[in-house]
Amino acid sequence: MDSMRTASARMELLAAIDAQFDVENRVDKDGSVWVSVGKDRLFDLLGFAKNAGFEHCSSISVTDWPEDEVFELTYHLWSYRDKILLTVKSQIDRREPIVTSAIPLWGPSAQIHERELHELFGVRFEGNPDLAPLFLENWEGPPPFRKDFDWREFVRKEFYDEGNPREQGYWG
Amino acid sequence: MAIGVIPQLIKNLFSRPMTVRFPHEAIPIPDGYRGEHAYDVGSCTSCTLCARVCPNRAIEMVKAPEEHREKYPKTYPQIDLGKCCFCGLCQDICASGAMKLTKGFFLSTNDRATVLRPPFASSEQD
Amino acid sequence: MRATPVNRVTGADGITEGCRTEDGFDLYFGPVHPGSGNFGVKLTVRGEEVVAARADPGYLHRGFEKLMEYRTPMQNSVLSDRLCILESLNWNLVHAEAVDRLHDTEIPDRAKYIRVIMAELSRIQSHIIWYGVLSKALGFDTGFKVAFGYRDYVLDLFEFVTGGRVYPAGYICPGGVRRDFPKGTKERIRELLTKMEKMSREFEAYDNATIRTRVKGIGVLALDDAIRLGATGPVLRASGLAADVRRDAPYEVYDKLDFEIPVHEEGDAYARSIIQRREIEESIKIIRQALEQLPAEELPPVKPKAAGKIPEGEVYVRNEIARGEAGVYMKSVGESHPYRCKIRGPDFLHMIPVLEHLLVGAEVADVPAIYWSLNICPADMDR
Repeated sequence: MDSMRTASARMELLAAIDAQFDVENRVDKDGSVWVSVGKDRLFDLLGFAKNAGFEHCSSISVTDWPEDEVFELTYHLWSYRDKILLTVKSQIDRREPIVTSAIPLWGPSAQIHERELHELFGVRFEGNPDLAPLFLENWEGPPPFRKDFDWREFVRKEFYDEGNPREQGYWG
Repeated sequence: MAIGVIPQLIKNLFSRPMTVRFPHEAIPIPDGYRGEHAYDVGSCTSCTLCARVCPNRAIEMVKAPEEHREKYPKTYPQIDLGKCCFCGLCQDICASGAMKLTKGFFLSTNDRATVLRPPFASSEQD
Repeated sequence: MRATPVNRVTGADGITEGCRTEDGFDLYFGPVHPGSGNFGVKLTVRGEEVVAARADPGYLHRGFEKLMEYRTPMQNSVLSDRLCILESLNWNLVHAEAVDRLHDTEIPDRAKYIRVIMAELSRIQSHIIWYGVLSKALGFDTGFKVAFGYRDYVLDLFEFVTGGRVYPAGYICPGGVRRDFPKGTKERIRELLTKMEKMSREFEAYDNATIRTRVKGIGVLALDDAIRLGATGPVLRASGLAADVRRDAPYEVYDKLDFEIPVHEEGDAYARSIIQRREIEESIKIIRQALEQLPAEELPPVKPKAAGKIPEGEVYVRNEIARGEAGVYMKSVGESHPYRCKIRGPDFLHMIPVLEHLLVGAEVADVPAIYWSLNICPADMDR
């Protein structure tokens, strides 16, 4: 399923990452490369990836680990030239989630992903000029996609009616 | 080969319309259509799997009404068609074949009380 | 020469209040469902020229990523058709692939071919809608009515196979497909493909000078802008890059099928509308080949299970859906629900950065043509 060129490009990429960065990496069954890096070298690694041909930022995501008190950032990058999928993972402090924005590397596509994550998880991206709310209007509560936001309680209080026979299943 | 818009539009003018004059003519509904539920309380074993697999919690297990309680001592599914998305997972998971989806799709109603389908017809539930 | 964009941000979500300002007149394009989808853009207009555009998303935000954390994979499969209902089977497929990758299951070959056939039919149906709404936006009502008339034949086939016309209820589910093709499906699909070819010829015939004037040279997206703004799918291919996930990172049985990727260099709305018609023809070719190669084995239906844990792990699956590149990042810690399910919709990039970039400097009368030529679907933007 993998062409010779992609396989050799992947070997070169792994060698280059190992040479410059001290990170753990693995290659999945389908050929995608997963790299975990500390927050201090995250921006350097992303810059290296951009220069190595990863010009498409497919998605930026945040996973909430409340017991470990970290947010895990995942950057999924795709190279049109070498056809490799690279995922960069990094953990940041959950109490003060601040990270440098990836806008200098991928421009508006990174900006819009960061804006969404700021609204839904509360992560602040420094260097992002526009972190205005995206989906929710007049939202006063905590960032709603965090694990400690009890959305069932919120929906029950705001929208459900105890006297309605069709909503009995939700009250206890 | 493009034959130009005007000849094609004239062809459309004289060809048969695509629409079907429902309800005078109808397209037959195929088997396997996921419509209204048909529940057979005689085959039900009260395993409660249908209530657990429903993605929208549209099925609630309720006790039988007084007059049936002796013969049917356990709990039985009550379906809220307003929440149901007609996915058919309850039909697929029912091992005894008591829960099936039929071809009925005339479900619009002006009366909200008909939206809740109790397991025993025409009785008050607990 | 484009005017310098002015993006004043006064309201909390970036939508300014008031209408007449020194820079121009604020004009809301949408949100009206038959006119602009469940999505609006706020334009600042000076005379006939748009000087600033601000997207206003969020009307269809249902919180899928959070909803999916509380449901088992089979229930999530039913939910995944609503990620973008216009191409529901394609989204079923992305989600099913993510769960299959975590479980590391071997899908039977017949199920893979059925998945590809249904996904390509869903792509054809989505492009028919694209053709219809683009025609409607340009005022060409005949194209709209003809397109939606032909789309009904595809929906009748979906009803025959999956049980529902528009909502297949997770037909493509983790483990294969929910039920095998009923008897007579292959003949019905072949009849449908004949009708689709007839429709394709009609769409070519409707391509007249009036429509061309309204879309040629409008909404030009240069290639480096397209990559920087995150465009994928037909929008990127119309700007000159032959990138298609089915070719670059083949999934299911696409590596065994022979098809071309239509590419254009101009990047305007006309190029995008040509690509949409070519892709319908390519999908017809794919379905024909898949029907030939369909193995004739017995396929048991996939039944939902009441309990079952997802193995630990994480995976990022990319698929080529009708609108572009769809991605699902699923992380599991060994429970029966996914721990995190991040969904990347192509329209998230098309409707906010790309649209705002293209609308600046355009004339007000060209706004519908640019808007609908991007094949927007607010559902997978908002999720």
